[in-house]
Amino acid sequence: MSLKTATVDSKKGTKFSLWGNSRKAREARLGYALILPTVLLVSLVIFYPVVYNVWLSFHEVTLNPNKPDIFVGLDNYKRILTDVEFWSAFKTSFIFTASTVIGATLVGLVIALLLNRSFKGRSLVRGIVLLPYVAPVVSVVFAWQYLFNPVFGMVNYYLVDVFGVMSEYVDWVDSSKYAIFMVIIFDIWRLFPFSFLMILAKLQSIPQSLYDAAEVDGANSWQKFLNVTLPELRYVIGSLVILRWIWNFNKFDEIYLLTKQVNVVPVYAYETAFNTYQHGLAATITAILFVFIMIFVFFSVKKVLKW
Amino acid sequence: MVTNNRLLNRIIFYFLLSITIFMSIFPFVIMLSSSLKVSEDQYTTPPKLIPDRITFENYLDILNPDTFPFLMYFMNSFVVSIITASLSVLIGSLGAYSFARLEYKGRSLIQNGVLFIYMFSGILLVVPLFQMITKIGLYDSKLSLIITYLVLTLPVSLYMLGNYFRTIPEALEEAAFIDGLNRLQVIFRIIIPLSVPAIVTVFIYVFMIAWNEYMFASVFLTSQENMTLPIGLSNLFFTKHYIWGRMMAASLLTAIPIILIFLTLEKFIAGGLTFGGVKE
Repeated sequence: MSLKTATVDSKKGTKFSLWGNSRKAREARLGYALILPTVLLVSLVIFYPVVYNVWLSFHEVTLNPNKPDIFVGLDNYKRILTDVEFWSAFKTSFIFTASTVIGATLVGLVIALLLNRSFKGRSLVRGIVLLPYVAPVVSVVFAWQYLFNPVFGMVNYYLVDVFGVMSEYVDWVDSSKYAIFMVIIFDIWRLFPFSFLMILAKLQSIPQSLYDAAEVDGANSWQKFLNVTLPELRYVIGSLVILRWIWNFNKFDEIYLLTKQVNVVPVYAYETAFNTYQHGLAATITAILFVFIMIFVFFSVKKVLKW
Repeated sequence: MVTNNRLLNRIIFYFLLSITIFMSIFPFVIMLSSSLKVSEDQYTTPPKLIPDRITFENYLDILNPDTFPFLMYFMNSFVVSIITASLSVLIGSLGAYSFARLEYKGRSLIQNGVLFIYMFSGILLVVPLFQMITKIGLYDSKLSLIITYLVLTLPVSLYMLGNYFRTIPEALEEAAFIDGLNRLQVIFRIIIPLSVPAIVTVFIYVFMIAWNEYMFASVFLTSQENMTLPIGLSNLFFTKHYIWGRMMAASLLTAIPIILIFLTLEKFIAGGLTFGGVKE
């Protein structure tokens, strides 16, 4: 049944012509017209590129736009899946994502619990806490590099000279061994406000009567937290962990701007495409990343969020 | 004993509160402090938070178009962000109204499709988009960035605006129909004026995304005249302008518009973000 001839009114089950002059038909036509720009843009800039990316991943892409790309079958996939560097990037991505998801959610939770009470200047404090999240990446990145500078940075100075936690200055910015720590701490700092905001909003919507009931049953604060607060927060924390996992596994800007030494999968794909100009290979990497993310989305989102 | 406990409780609370605030603003304090230092004072041991000598030279240098292209980048970012945000609000309002009020076949499919791309990240699109942009001759243009940012922010615009439109009583619209307005007039004369808080939130959200974005800008742009702040500043990092005081001054001036907008409209935005961000 094509849209042209007839469509079924979902409420009453009566048929009407989309091109007729009934109010229903006019509304449906307007509905399509209003959503059309969105559908066109999303198709052109999201859906088509995703398909095109798969096409590219089967080709050796030439740099000259006038020369046709060469079909290479599964060669790119064979190369990437047997590439040691790819798997090491995958491992780095995994470590980065797991640490930042756990870190940002926990810090956000603790601060949300802390601020979930009334005190003077609360709304100002809430605004201040959100600053790391809203400030432009490029500006906070330079401040962090300054702090972590191996020669004159405060981090080395305090860790070594003041508190003696470490015995010597290390290069937090340009050594692959230590840079990952800086990137993880930075990202937790940058992203905890988002978790904080979501968790706080949920905390404020928990009815006081639940706590009163728990109190009648003789629960102490810890028991109230375990039996009332946590179950109420389950959904919001679940959503945060899943979304953050997807976003952070694909994260590029923050990592690449801070250091060139943390080679996660997106950085690997970017450098393959724009530093060594192997667009076919880069498309293969992002296609694999896409499949991985989709599998994750399919299982987690379906199971946990029941979308 | 009870009062003692309360006091202790308060002390612990304010202690933790101070740590939280300190942690949130410390990097901004560093920017300010370092941007006011003269060059030699950047490298002192121990590092000092309050500069011995205060200078505004770094600010004067970066605001001088002959020494530092900061103002040009700033204008580019501003133009790209304003246009993207306006388009996102316009297209988003029309689409959101379509989702919220009109019935047609395939609506929920389109709605879910749009929500699905909320989870997408730029890295999955950067290679094919670069190829497309080059082939259609949009390479090194601001338009390429505007289109990309617009689409990446549309899901959130549609979702937040749609949720808000649904809270407007339909009776208002019915009354307007009786007065002889059609749907389009209703959208522009009733729905949009009543949705100013949501529209402001969406506008600012899109503005911030466009203002902050680095990856697409680094790939799509090549000439100085077109560069936005994130790509322009990060490129300068590798040139003779690698002067800490200047970089910090530029960083702070890049952050200030966003911080100001945000702090004045914090209530709107915080509400809007949670409204659109987490599906219950």
